[in-house]
Formats: sequence, structure tokens, C-alpha cells
Amino acid sequence: MKSNNYFTLCVLLFVNSFGFAQKESPTAALQHNPVRLFTIEPSIGIHTNFGTDLLFSALVQWSPSKRFSLASHSSYNINNITQRDFNHIKTDYNYSLNQKFGIGTTRYCKRSAHSFFLMVGIKYTDYQETLQNPNLDKVSVAISSLNPDYGLMYSMKRGWKKYFFTYRMYLPLYPWPVKSTDINYTDGNMNNIALELGVGIKIK
Amino acid sequence: MKKQVILYLGVIVSALVMAILFGSCQEEEFNPSLTKKFTIKSATNGAVYSIKVGLPTHYGESAPEKYSSIYVLDGEEDFDFVAKNCQEISNRYSKANVLVISIGYGKDRSIDYTPTKVSSVTGGGPEFLHFIETQLIPQIERDFSADTARISRVILGHSYGGLFGAYALAVNNKLFGNYLLLSPSIWYDNEVSLLMEKQNRMSIKKRHQLIFLGIGELENAGRMQAPFEAFYQVLHDHYTDIHLEKNREPDLDHMGSKNPNIVKGLNYYFQNR
Repeated sequence: MKSNNYFTLCVLLFVNSFGFAQKESPTAALQHNPVRLFTIEPSIGIHTNFGTDLLFSALVQWSPSKRFSLASHSSYNINNITQRDFNHIKTDYNYSLNQKFGIGTTRYCKRSAHSFFLMVGIKYTDYQETLQNPNLDKVSVAISSLNPDYGLMYSMKRGWKKYFFTYRMYLPLYPWPVKSTDINYTDGNMNNIALELGVGIKIK
Repeated sequence: MKKQVILYLGVIVSALVMAILFGSCQEEEFNPSLTKKFTIKSATNGAVYSIKVGLPTHYGESAPEKYSSIYVLDGEEDFDFVAKNCQEISNRYSKANVLVISIGYGKDRSIDYTPTKVSSVTGGGPEFLHFIETQLIPQIERDFSADTARISRVILGHSYGGLFGAYALAVNNKLFGNYLLLSPSIWYDNEVSLLMEKQNRMSIKKRHQLIFLGIGELENAGRMQAPFEAFYQVLHDHYTDIHLEKNREPDLDHMGSKNPNIVKGLNYYFQNR
């Protein structure tokens, strides 16, 4: 049920994004604003798992034509930053590295641009926990995990000068539907929807 | 304006199609003709529990045969999946199937499945375990062809349900001989279930146990993995007559790893019982 609520929320966010993108005539916007060929957009963000992960990311976008865009998204996530010592369980380290590439389209408006990408890449997660309960034996466990990562990304750029504000949302899809079409499998995905805010730089 | 409306409609239709696709992934129901349903009111806590019993395919057709029984916590969510998999796996290994007993929610699961009280919605575990021992198991073994030996009883639980299984193992080990514990919340109340196990270890460590521990590899919220490993180490190092297995399900989180671990746990049980 929780997953269904997340899903509904995501759909509404995407619908809203599409609607916002269409407030102004794209044709008119393009007449005043040239297509940005190449941008770099460093950002910070959180995941939707109650905001306990901190993300440092960068999106590099290349738009060779009006409607066709390519992107590379890299991020370093410090996971579970607010709960590193819980019930005698210490998190020694917990981070993820993500690298994804995507293809998509961009719609241009008067003061903003909206891009939608299908992203594919990998995610590496590394963490260690130690149980330090004084009444029990000390036990540590370290886990490293390399997973495929694919999903949908929405990116909004606001402002038309060299520097602009940028907002991104990434909805990871893996392991659905590769491992199973059961909605329960998307538990991790729904906790890892990324919301990122930053400042972009127009290179070309 | 027209384009905008068309786009909105397109997105909404796409969303509806996706919602239908997601919705269509509901678990298929276990054969209704092989399912018996009834309710029991707990004399201990007053709650009414919905019980479902999934029967083996040829139940009652031949001479009376005694079946092992699997008690499934969170039964309202997991009964169909467990019952169907028991049927498939027992057929695959040519082993007698089991009675699958679904225990529905009486009080809130966070009350029934937690062994100690740390808030107003926790700590009903002792009453719930007493209900299982004094009312549910006797009724199942009276009304169905269930084997009454401890070694023929299995408890299966996920998350708080897994915690409750660990609690049952520690404080009332004579009840169940087999434990399928998936992503157990051993962290609960400063690992109180591990402390209870330590307290009772001398009296239970020589008893025969079959224990399967499962978890998701990506359960990295800073509370699941270390206590899980500690529980496994204790069982591995101190218990002398034990079938013990652990599984970390790759790429999956707390809920996602549940069904794969149920399947692996049942496979382990049918192969090693």
C-alpha cells in the first residue's frame, strides 16, 4: 500500500512537470531562446527514504538537436547520514556511487527547459555495520553490491543566462520488472527516488 | 491549448495503463477448495484472529496421514504465496506437502509481534505466543491431520514477524522445531531477542532446530545487517544439532527480498526437514 502511494505521488509529479512544461508555446520560446548545446549541472539532493541520504551529483547534458538530448549523470551518495548509531548498531561507512547515461527529449519554454530521459547505468553500494551491544559479542558485517540501475529522469532548467537553476527527479525502476513484476520488489526503488537541486552552467 | 490538453490526456492515460499493469500483479489466490477458514478469539488479549488453513492436494483422500504444519505470520499478505509455493516445492522434491496455517491480524502486528513494550503500540508478543500455544496449535492439531511433534511445526515470519519467530525460538523453544525468519527486526529494543536467546541458551542449544535466515543485500538503513549476522553467528557457534542456512538476496531491499527468501526458505525446509 505504501508503494502504491509512492507510485501515485510520482505519477502526479510527472504529470505536473509535463503540464508546467507546456504553459508557454514551445515554438515561441525557441524563437527567443536558442537550444543549449552543452550544460553541466552540479547539484545536491536527497532520497525519498525520509531524507536520510545526502546526494552530490552532476548532470552533463548535450542536445545535438531541438528535441533530442543525451545525458550523463554521476552521483556520490552518503547513505543513512542521520542514523549512524542506533540501538548499539554503528554504521561505520555507507555510500553509493552511481553512473548512468541517458537519451531523451527537451521541451523549451520562455524561461525554462524541461528534459525527460531514459537512463541506464550501474550503482555500487558499500557499507559496514557493527553491533556493539555491551551484553553481546561484537559483530561487524561489510557488504558491497554492484547493481544495474535504470529509470526515468526529469530535469528542469530555470533561467536563460549562462548560469541557471536546475531541479531533477530520478525514478529508479530496477529491479522491476526484470526480477519480478510484483509491486513489492519496488520497495527499494520507491525509497530511492532522487530529488536534486543545483546550479547549471551553460558551456555552449 | 489543444496540444496541451492532448498531452495531459496522454500522460493521464499512460499513468492509468501503468496503474492497471501494477494492479494486475496482485498475487494469485490459493485454490479455494483447499482452503478452510475460521476465526478464534484469543482468551489472552481478546483479539479475534482470522485463520486460514491451506490443505495438501489429496488431503483426506487416503488413509489418515499426519502432516507437518507451517504457521505463517502476516498471513493476510503471505498465505497465498506460501501455500502455492509449498505445493510446488513439495511436488518438485516428491515430499509430502504441509498444512499452511495463515494467522491474520488480531491486534496491530506491531503489538502482536514485538516481545517487549517500548511504546503504546508494542509489546503484545508474550500474549500472542500464549494464544498460539494454548489455543491455535491445539485446535489445528485437533481438527486437522496435523503431526503434533515439535519437529513437524514451522513458523515463518518477515520483519517484525521474523523478530517474533526469533523470540519464540528463545523463550518457548519446545513449540516450533523449524524457523524461517526473513529480514528479522533483531535490532528491536536494543537486540532484546538476542539477550533472551543468550539467557535461555543452555536449555535449548542441544535441541534439534532447522533455521533459515534471509535478508536483502540492500537493507542498509543502519539496523538490519549487523544484528542479523550476530544472530547467525550465535546459532552457528553454540547450537550443536542444527540445520542452519542464511541468504542475502542480491539487489533487493526489505520488502523486495521477502518473496525470494520465502521461496529459498521453503526449499531449504523441504530439502532438510
